[in-house]
Amino acid sequence: MALRLDFTMDAETNRQYLNGHPVVMHSHHYLALITKMAGELEDINGTGILRDVVEETMRAVFDDYIRKNGLTSAQDKCNVGREYFSVFGLGKMVITGDEQGGEVRLVRSHLDEGWIMKWGNTDKPVNHFTCGYVAAMFGAAFDKPLKSYTVTEAASIAAGDSEGKFIVKVS
Amino acid sequence: MTVMRDTVVKSLAKITVQGDENGLIPEYEVLVNLLPVKLLNTFSERIMAAAPPDKKAKVEEGLVRAAYECGYHTGCGIITSDIFNDVVLPMVTEGEKDILRGAYAAFTAWGWAKSGIVQLKEGEKMVIRAFDYYEADSGGEGLRGYMLRGLSQAFFDLAYAEPYPDGMDTYICRQSKGIEVGDPYGEFIVTKK
Repeated sequence: MALRLDFTMDAETNRQYLNGHPVVMHSHHYLALITKMAGELEDINGTGILRDVVEETMRAVFDDYIRKNGLTSAQDKCNVGREYFSVFGLGKMVITGDEQGGEVRLVRSHLDEGWIMKWGNTDKPVNHFTCGYVAAMFGAAFDKPLKSYTVTEAASIAAGDSEGKFIVKVS
Repeated sequence: MTVMRDTVVKSLAKITVQGDENGLIPEYEVLVNLLPVKLLNTFSERIMAAAPPDKKAKVEEGLVRAAYECGYHTGCGIITSDIFNDVVLPMVTEGEKDILRGAYAAFTAWGWAKSGIVQLKEGEKMVIRAFDYYEADSGGEGLRGYMLRGLSQAFFDLAYAEPYPDGMDTYICRQSKGIEVGDPYGEFIVTKK
């Protein structure tokens, strides 16, 4: 399946849309700093807020695409998230699993590689963004409500591993 | 000739980006991402709402800082890029002032903010007005143009502070009006720190 991409622009405001959803460009500096800030705000559940926001907002994008394109198989639905990940410039992932959970390998990663470019390696996994993203992807693939899956980052490019690895389990 | 804003906007607005075969967007000496506006606005709203009163200023500073560093580093890549050289530089006759005019035309073209300079005292002060910016759609309380505050500070640093990368944090930007609080436009004022 190749994701159908419809880039449009509002003639009055110049705001950009991808498949009807407003999108905006930023750089790895932005996402790295937002991630770092969330990590420094654990007393107010900073990383939890980041994960939840990513899961909710990405899920809406995936569900909309799945509905508009009449996708029915779990594999096709999961591929929507996988392909969007690359279109968004977030990297490249390989997914295995079923309704009970699975594993996502992150072969390339905007956030991890950007983090290293900015600050060098970190001593622990930092890709909370992708944890939320993967939860949205599995939820959309298997028609489950938000927060149905718990995602743990088991290996991290930012922390020195050759690939990222995310373990997905039913919550 | 000085920078003709409409020409720059029309030329740059045609550009769209998406990930390459590795799912990455290496442009302007950085890795670019393309994210749903809803994600960015919702994160800002929730993290601000979660912060207790004594921490809100710190969180706000963090949101501005993310935009500032993004703007400072990416901005240097933008104003030295081939596309900026092709489209904007041929019209530059007034040095840094025109570079800044070109930068705000680029902000407009790329959908960050329909914005422009309304007052400029070189190396001293700049006033920006924005008639559309994505953070104006965010929920929450108070002025919330964190992104445009950071970007404005970054580009004034690039134009008038020490050459990149030594000019960081020379200027500061505060927001005085906001569409998100009912004003007809957002207003952003850059001054020396």
